[in-house]
This record gives sequence, structure tokens and C-alpha cells, in this order.
Amino acid sequence: MDGGKVTQGRTAGLYVGAAVLRLAIFTLLPGLPDLLTGRVEISTPVTSFKRLQEGLFLYNHNVSPYDGGVYHQAPLFLPLFSLLPSFSNLPIFTYLLYIAVDLLSASALWKIADSGEAGSAALFTSPRRDKRWSGYVIAAVFLFNPFTLATCIGRSTSVFTTCAILHAIAKAVSGAPFGALVALSFATYLSLYPLLLLPPLALLCYDRQRPERATKSAAKFTSICASVVAGVLGVLFGMSYLITDSWEFLVSTYGIQLTLSDLTPNVGLWWYFFIEMFDSFRAFFLGVFWLHLSCYVGGLTLRIRRQPLVVLTLLLGIFAIFKPYPSISDTSLFLALVPLYRHVFPLMRYTFLAASVIAYASCLGPAFYYLWIYAGSGNANFFYAVTLVWNLGLSLLVCDLMFAVLRDEWEVERPEMAGKEIRQI
Amino acid sequence: MRQLCPALLLSLLSLCVFPPCAAASASAAADYHEQLVLRPLPLSALLASFNFRSNTTVSEFESGNFRFFPRSLGQILQHAGTRELHLRFSLGRWDAESWGSRPWDGAREGGTGVELWAWLDADTDQEADHKWLTLTNALSGLFCASLNFIDGTRTTRPVMSFEPEGDHPNTSAHSMQLLYGVLPHEVVCTENLTPFLKLLPCKGKAGIATLLDGHKLFDASFQSMAIDIRPVCPPGGECVLQIEQTIDMVLDIDRSKRPRDNPIPRSLGGHELLCDTSKPYHSHDTCFPADQDANQDWSLSQIFGKSMKGTCPLADPTVPPVCLQVPESRAVYTIDGAVEIKSRDSRCFQISPESDLELLLPPPGDEAQDGAAADILPPGTPPLYAERSFTGYGQERGGVQTILRNPSPDTEVEFVYMESLPWFMRIYLHTMEARIAGHPAPSPDNHPLIQQVYYRPALDRARGTQLEVRMRIPPAATVFLTYDFEKSILRYTEYPPDANRGFDVAAAVITILDPQRNGSGRFAAYTIRTTSLLCSLPTPDFSMPYNVIIFTSTAVALAFGGMFNIMVRRFVAADEGSEGGLGALRGKLLGRLGAVAGRFKGNQ
Repeated sequence: MDGGKVTQGRTAGLYVGAAVLRLAIFTLLPGLPDLLTGRVEISTPVTSFKRLQEGLFLYNHNVSPYDGGVYHQAPLFLPLFSLLPSFSNLPIFTYLLYIAVDLLSASALWKIADSGEAGSAALFTSPRRDKRWSGYVIAAVFLFNPFTLATCIGRSTSVFTTCAILHAIAKAVSGAPFGALVALSFATYLSLYPLLLLPPLALLCYDRQRPERATKSAAKFTSICASVVAGVLGVLFGMSYLITDSWEFLVSTYGIQLTLSDLTPNVGLWWYFFIEMFDSFRAFFLGVFWLHLSCYVGGLTLRIRRQPLVVLTLLLGIFAIFKPYPSISDTSLFLALVPLYRHVFPLMRYTFLAASVIAYASCLGPAFYYLWIYAGSGNANFFYAVTLVWNLGLSLLVCDLMFAVLRDEWEVERPEMAGKEIRQI
Repeated sequence: MRQLCPALLLSLLSLCVFPPCAAASASAAADYHEQLVLRPLPLSALLASFNFRSNTTVSEFESGNFRFFPRSLGQILQHAGTRELHLRFSLGRWDAESWGSRPWDGAREGGTGVELWAWLDADTDQEADHKWLTLTNALSGLFCASLNFIDGTRTTRPVMSFEPEGDHPNTSAHSMQLLYGVLPHEVVCTENLTPFLKLLPCKGKAGIATLLDGHKLFDASFQSMAIDIRPVCPPGGECVLQIEQTIDMVLDIDRSKRPRDNPIPRSLGGHELLCDTSKPYHSHDTCFPADQDANQDWSLSQIFGKSMKGTCPLADPTVPPVCLQVPESRAVYTIDGAVEIKSRDSRCFQISPESDLELLLPPPGDEAQDGAAADILPPGTPPLYAERSFTGYGQERGGVQTILRNPSPDTEVEFVYMESLPWFMRIYLHTMEARIAGHPAPSPDNHPLIQQVYYRPALDRARGTQLEVRMRIPPAATVFLTYDFEKSILRYTEYPPDANRGFDVAAAVITILDPQRNGSGRFAAYTIRTTSLLCSLPTPDFSMPYNVIIFTSTAVALAFGGMFNIMVRRFVAADEGSEGGLGALRGKLLGRLGAVAGRFKGNQ
């Protein structure tokens, strides 16, 4: 599975295959896209395509979509989708857009994989780096991952965030800090949480600067990064203001992520916790949950300073578990980056357990949701229990990857320990 | 003396101790009248419409001289700056398919529960909201209803559906704000009737109001209590403030005739059954029950449980207190002394103030059976039939479907359809569609069904959805108006105690626009309220907030703890470093103990 020789033909074949598969699902199973759009595992209040359509409808009829409780997505989606031919008449253009975004994400992933950054970062070279999968395999794993496919067919707008994040990383490893920061700003603009990726991404950019244009001073580089992101975000917010003529979109788009006012079930841990939370403690626990989400950034960035791409991967895994409105789209982004660490797979201890837990939760989740919402023979605890299992499985995977990467780092200092029993004190 | 006299009279009136004196003043003013209209309906139903109306001039009202106007309500109106007020308490459903068009053309009807709309004198929205809060809280106390629960989420500001009924000077028209609130969950009952009767000049002690009894009123198939207050300016005269109190009830005659001490219905003996003899299988031992139209014999005391106690001495004596809408051929017996005044389709009865009134309608004779339905007046055809229901299943999403039928063979009907929905029903306006039954495609472009839409989306926990659609339906067509919605899940403290019963969704208000409307004519030709709906939302498990908090926190702690552990601890080979676990703890403890023991020894 090392990929072998990648020719132009095989590249094109992979992309065409992925595109044809998606188009075939769109056209041959016309009921499936709407079914998947309605699934809580795929569409969250901040990414749902149906809500996007409603926002678009209101926007085209001169009602502010932000003066309501349905549309919570970034304002720039509105002119983008208005430019496309109407979805109800010519859905094919929307499908093509979503397919193109998936292919763009895959090509970014391919670049990341081919750079070899996962095995040999600027400050660290893994002794196992030769054992890796080619970009072809990694892009194929991403494109044919059922979670990615379901997200694309469900037309969740999180694919745009995924694409922006992957491009930010791809630009960073190829020594284009400006492009990386612009892409990250776009991701932040679309769904807020990618802002937390800024420290490791800035480090990655710093490590991978082109020697001829390198900024040596870390403080200077940090301030440049911060100002680029702030500038791009400022421009995006300004454009949004021009589009909607008010700042209402800030509260509606980002406020909902901060306050979790919409408690629609999803695969995450927040919704049921805040349904059952006592009113007087709600604000406190919102603060705690956000603090918990952001506390990993500093710790991981410092501890795994030598491999910023690992930090980015682990953070994406953590976000897929702990962000306010996670969906399987976030999991698919994390799972897209995990195969980059093929070289540390032998060091992972619980892969089988984690994989079975994730598979178990993916099968049982829809079933229990059905029992609760439709059959009425189960209650909310059924689905809640499955989301707990799902998140525990994912966190097991994240922990295990972290362990493997750290052990890999440690074995550089202690090469004689390879393959031996170890423990942590 | 002129100023003293009315005040004195008023205090006497409120005590109601000197009827002759009061009667003298009433005849002088003639500003109060009351009337009960009884109209038998098909399927052995009887519509009883009570109407009480009194006027007071605006100048007297403003100087605090309320006359027949209830003081308690008048002071609330003055305090809250209310120009016009409409309040409805309703129960049940008007069955238009069998009972025909509605009393008062639907203008005195409300949706199930409580409905309130008022024009308030306010320059800004904040001022209007403040006055609205004052008004709803005061009315809540006055009528023993939960009107104080009409908060921001249940208040809308309709744009197309309502227009003031009264005459407002043009100068004040622009500073009036309309607010509309509805409580579909409110159960209307006796505690609302008592304050309603107390507003009447005769307080339910005399006149037609003596027939109003909670046991009968709230046992009716349909009942609607209405209070309308509006300024009326007759041409050339002084403006008056008019309060009109209306009660419409549809009684099931058979049910009402059951004795109160033995209300359980018993099956009739074979010889008492009324059979439909036109059925082919009819024979001496098979019987298809016939419609009960033919058996409408009843008396006032059977229906209302008592006879009418005199007339209200304050009422205008020229208005007959009771009218009966039955064909002239129908026999009606009354007590002696009652004078029957016949007009077209209406037979009114005038009695002396002290005598009780009793009406008795005997079973129609055989000659009436020949001419079909000669014993009741044929019900009128309403301009539109409307029916609203939920579609879909499950507690995640659903749809609302309204079936609107224009029965007229040659006139099209134009109306405004208004919904005020709770915020937790997130409607998707882009799915709204109107189509004519039998046409597969949505409405043809050359004749759009939907003329205009006013939509104000809901904001979570702050505001409900307001949807007003102006539509036009061609003659003899049935239109389906549908849209999708999503049910949101609430915080567990936001559910009522009976969470699995569901949430009431207020009735849609359909205002049929008057086609012949000119400048000052009537705005609404007819009004329809659909039934209210019951929307069941997904519910969390209410019994386990602690468990959920603990489980989720455990999952978070496991993930955080696992990562923290891996990040901060050093790697060593399995056989290196200090011992961990229990052994290490034991060693540490022993070491400490040894040290303490050593110190102890040293001291000695």
C-alpha cells in the first residue's frame, strides 16, 4: 500500500473516480441527499444545507436572515450560492460545487502528504519516516471515506471549512505563510473554531519559511501572523457588513457557537449537557467548556513543539470531540490526517479498540436516534449514550496517536528502546 | 347638583338596590342594550348568541365618569393608553361543514384559548411594549386568566390581518400600535366567566345574563366570549366609547337536556330510536340512526337549566331581550305576558321587567316532516372553508398543511392567512407552497395564489414566528398551503410539567377581505379561526440532570486526563526508574513512619 509510482493518469483517475462516484449518488439516488441533509450526525445548526437554503431564500427576498433563529452561517455563503443557478431548478451546479470542494481538499491533502512533513519536520526527523503512504493513498482514503462521502452528499457547509483548513496546512508546509494564514482566516470566518489552530499553524509556517525570505525573529513573525489574520478577518467582516448592512451576523453566526442557544442533537457532548444543565450554572459551564476546548492549544503546542503538524492533527481530533456543534465532517477531517502518521502506527496500542468503538457508535447512533425520535421506544438517553461512546472512542484514538508520536520522539534519544516495553512516570 | 346626580346614580347603580331609580336613568340614557339570539342548527345543535353593548361618551370617560362602562376595565384602559381592545376566550370548534357560516361573520370569535389584540397609544416600540405589559398584567388579574404569560415570544404585530374597528381621528392614527397576543394553552373556564359577568350593569342578576351558567357554557360544543372596546363617532354626534360583550355558544340539545343529577347518557329503547327509513336495509329489527334535526324540541329551562329572570332594568326597553331564529311555521309557546314581534326569519319576545321568560318549542308536527328541514332555518354558506393539520411523523420535523376551499361557484375569494407560531417551531419559508388540488404543479404563473407574504422569523427564546400571506383563491377551488418546520429541543427547564402532551400552536387567523371595500367601509368581510394544533417536541430525560452532568464530565475528564497524562509524564523503560503504584506508596509510607519513629527515639 505504498502507492508505487504515481502517474498523471492515476491522479486523474482518482479524482475522476471520486467525482463520478459522488455524481452517481446525487443523480441515481435523488432522495439520499435530502435524507442525509436531515441527519443530525451530518448537519448541525451551523452547517445545515437546509438552513442555508432558508437563509438564501430570505436573503433573496430582502429579509435579513440573521434576524431569525434558523440561519447561523457566514454571510459570504449568501452571495456565493445566489450566484449559482437556483438549487430547486438546477441542483447539478450545487452538486458540482460540493464535488469540486472535496477534490480541492483532497489535492491539498496530497500536497501535505507528499511534503513528508509528518515524518520529517524542520526540527525533528523520525527514525521511522521511510514507512509512509503516498499522497495518492492518503487522498484516496480521504475521498472514499464514508464520513467524507456522507458529508459531501449531505451538502454540509463544513466542507468549505475543511477545505480551508487543509489548504492552510498545505500552504504552510510548502513555505507560503501568507497563503496559509489567509486560508486559516477563511476557515475562522466560516466556523470560528479554526482560530485556535493559529499558534501551531504559525509555528509550522515559521519552521517552513523559505530561506531566502525568512523572518528570523519569532516575535516579529508572530506579530506578522496575528496582523495578517486580523487583517483578513477584518476585510471578511467588512464585506459581510456590506452584504447584510448590519452587524447582526456576528451574534447570529458566532454567538450561537459561544452560547449554544440551539440545542439540536449532534454527535458532540455539549447538547445534552446543556439541555440538562441548571439555568444558574449554564453560563459558568459554557465558560468551562470553551476554556477546556482552548486549553489543549497551548499545552500541545509547547509539548510537541518540534512537530507542529502533529499538533494540528491532534487539535483537529480534539475539536471533532469537544467543539460546540461537531459532526462527522470534523471526524472525517481528523481521519484524513491520521494516515499521514503511518510510520507511528506500529507504536499505537489501542487501534483495534478505537476502530471498533467508532464503528460500533456509527452503526448504533442512527438506530438509537430512530428509537428516540421516531419509534418512541427509547428516550434521549439512548442517543446520548451512543454519543458518549463515540467521543470516548475518538478520544482514545487521539490519545493513542499522541502517545505514539511522543514515543517516536523519545526513541530518537533512546534508540535502544525501540520495540521494548515502556512505561510513563 | 348636575354634577352630583350622576355620581350618586352611579353609586346606586353599582349597588343595584333601587331598580326603579336605575330604570329611570337607563331610559333617559338608553345607552345599554342586551339581546339573546337563539338559532337552532342542524344536527340538534343550538346557537345562543348573547350580546351586551353599552356606550359612554369619550369626554365623560376621560373625566372618570364611567356610567355603564365597567370602571375596573375603564381604569385599566386609561392607565395603559389603550385606544381599542379586543379580548377573546374560546373553547371548542365551529363546525362550518354542518353549522354553516359563523355568528357575527366570525368577527366576535377567537381561537382556542385566549386571544388579545389592542391598539395602544405609543410613539415608539419600547413604549408600546411597556404599555402592552401593563395591559396584559392588569387584564390577567381582572379576568383570572394567564394573560400575563403573553410575553415577547407570544406577541406579534400583525401587518395585514387587522384594522381598527372603531373611528379614530386621523391625528392619532399614526401613533397607534397594534399588538396581538395569543395563549392557545389557556383553558377557559368558570373563573373567566364570573369576571366577565361582573362587567355587566346587571351583573348576571337580571335579564338574559341570568341564563349564563358555567356548567352549561363550558359544556357547549363551541363557545366564545368576546369583549370589544372601540370608540365610535356617529356622524354629527359626540364620540362614544363602546364596550360590546358577546358570548356565542353552540349547545348540543340532547346533551343539555340530560338531567344534571343523572348526566350519564343511556341507550334508548327500541321504540324511541329515530331511524332513517330511506336505507334499503331498514326493517323492524335494523335501524340506521337518523340525523337529529327532526327532533328539536326544547325549552329555555331545559337548555340553560333555568328560565330567564326578568329583564335588566337598565337595558334599552325597546330592544326585545330574546329573539328566536326559526321558520315562521314553527310553533313556539311562551308564558303569558310575553309579546311576540315577528320580523323576517326572526321572532323576538318582549316581556315585562319583573316576569320570568320561558320558551318552549314542541316537537315539529308531521306536516313539518314532509317539507325537508322546515323546522330550522337552512345554514348559510361561509365564503371559505379552512382546515389546518400537521403532516409528517416523528419528533424531529414536520409540516403544516392548510386546506382552503372556496365553495362559491363564481366568485374568487381574497384573504389574509396569519399564523403566529411559537419560536420552537422553526419554519422553513422556502418550502412554503400553495397548489390547487388536482393540479400537479404549483400554482400557474398567470394566476398566482399567493399575492403577498409578510414574514418575521422567530428568534430563539425572544420572539415567535409571524407569517401573513395574502392569497386569492379562484371560484370552486381547493387550495393546499403547505410548509415544513423543524422541532427544536428545549432546555429541560423550559418544558411544562406535562411535556409529553405537546405544545399548543395557536389557531391561524383567516381574514377574508371585503371586495366592495371603499374608503371607510368594512375591512374584513368574514373571519375564520382554524383549530389549534398540538405539536410534540422531542423531550430529554427529565429525571437525570445530575447523571448527565456526571457522565459528560466523566467523558471529558477521561479524555483530558488521558492526554494530560501522556503529555506530562516521562517515558522510561519498563524496568527503569522508581517504582510506581501501590508499592511506591507503601515504600513512601514506611519510610515516613521510619523517620518519625527515628525522631521519636532520638528525642528520648
